[in-house]
Amino acid sequence: MNTVSKSEKRDREPRVLIIIPAFNEAASLPQLVPRIRELCPRYDTAIINDASTDDTLRVAHALPARVISLPCNLGIGGAMQTGFCIARDESYDIAVQVDGDGQHPADQLHLLIQGLQQSGCDIVIGSRFLNGGEFQSTVARRLGIRIFSLWLSAICHTRITDATSGFRALNRRAIELFSRSYAEDYPEVEAIVVAHRAGLRICEVPVAMSARVQGVSSIGGLRSVGYMVKVSLAILMCSIRRRQIAS
Amino acid sequence: MQTYGHSVVFTTTLVVFLFVLWLVRRHSIGERFAGLWLLISVSLLIASSVGYRYLFLIAGLVGVPYAPSALFFLAIAGLTLLIIELFAWVSKLNDRTRVLTQQLALLRERFDREQTAGRVR
Repeated sequence: MNTVSKSEKRDREPRVLIIIPAFNEAASLPQLVPRIRELCPRYDTAIINDASTDDTLRVAHALPARVISLPCNLGIGGAMQTGFCIARDESYDIAVQVDGDGQHPADQLHLLIQGLQQSGCDIVIGSRFLNGGEFQSTVARRLGIRIFSLWLSAICHTRITDATSGFRALNRRAIELFSRSYAEDYPEVEAIVVAHRAGLRICEVPVAMSARVQGVSSIGGLRSVGYMVKVSLAILMCSIRRRQIAS
Repeated sequence: MQTYGHSVVFTTTLVVFLFVLWLVRRHSIGERFAGLWLLISVSLLIASSVGYRYLFLIAGLVGVPYAPSALFFLAIAGLTLLIIELFAWVSKLNDRTRVLTQQLALLRERFDREQTAGRVR
């Protein structure tokens, strides 16, 4: 009797919430969200509009996704944490972070979810550099990513090749932790340290990312120096802070 | 000259004390900081009325040869502590604002959904 009814199969499928924080992403959302819907019709999608000043809110409401609009700008961390709160409150099994700028291809989502289910880890990071992957970027940027990846690998005692990747899948333990504690600005690197100190297991899967569809990165020029300083300080502060306990 | 200078300092600290009292009465300064500022202004008042006589004595005891330097050091240390306290308070307020902003957005989204479904008018 190996026959399993469709409803039983559906019952066993994890409930997945795809969280898309969006600040002024009116141009890229209409390409990203329908593509996710097309490839992953069973997953729920939540767009977190971070008080955008362009047409993002109106565009988002026309897309097949839930739209949560923050009344004031909280930054990428605050917006993402709003998504984690939804995932926690509505008992989603898995949350997937996807940037609203179109860098994270919808056709790679299943790699993260499969990685999470098969590895037994609490967080799976989509890495651009694992297994010799390449990503077109400036030398300074790649150097920064390399430095943080080596640093985090040493802290977490596990190989991390893409510490700044925001393309991640989280299970319930990680969702619960990040819904309580998540950095406001440039949270990706700090989140790994917080998760490691809380006893969560982290691993990576190789993914291919594309260049931004629209807009410019918030990190460039002098800002990249500020980014390096801020994130370095955040890692140091994280290491001396009282550790969060994962449920 | 010394008496004149003393009067100026005393009058200034009295004005500070009365100003703090006025702010407290008007509820312009929260309870958390009202007590602190009342304490600071009363301390200044006492220091400017009688405490200045002991300044040279205290400076001598802690090994500061120039008494006004000891006063400046105390003032700067006190203000630094106050600024750190304010930073901690601002961080806490920032955290609370973030949580409120998130909750407001989530509740509004739920309200909109219920309204669309016709469960709320």
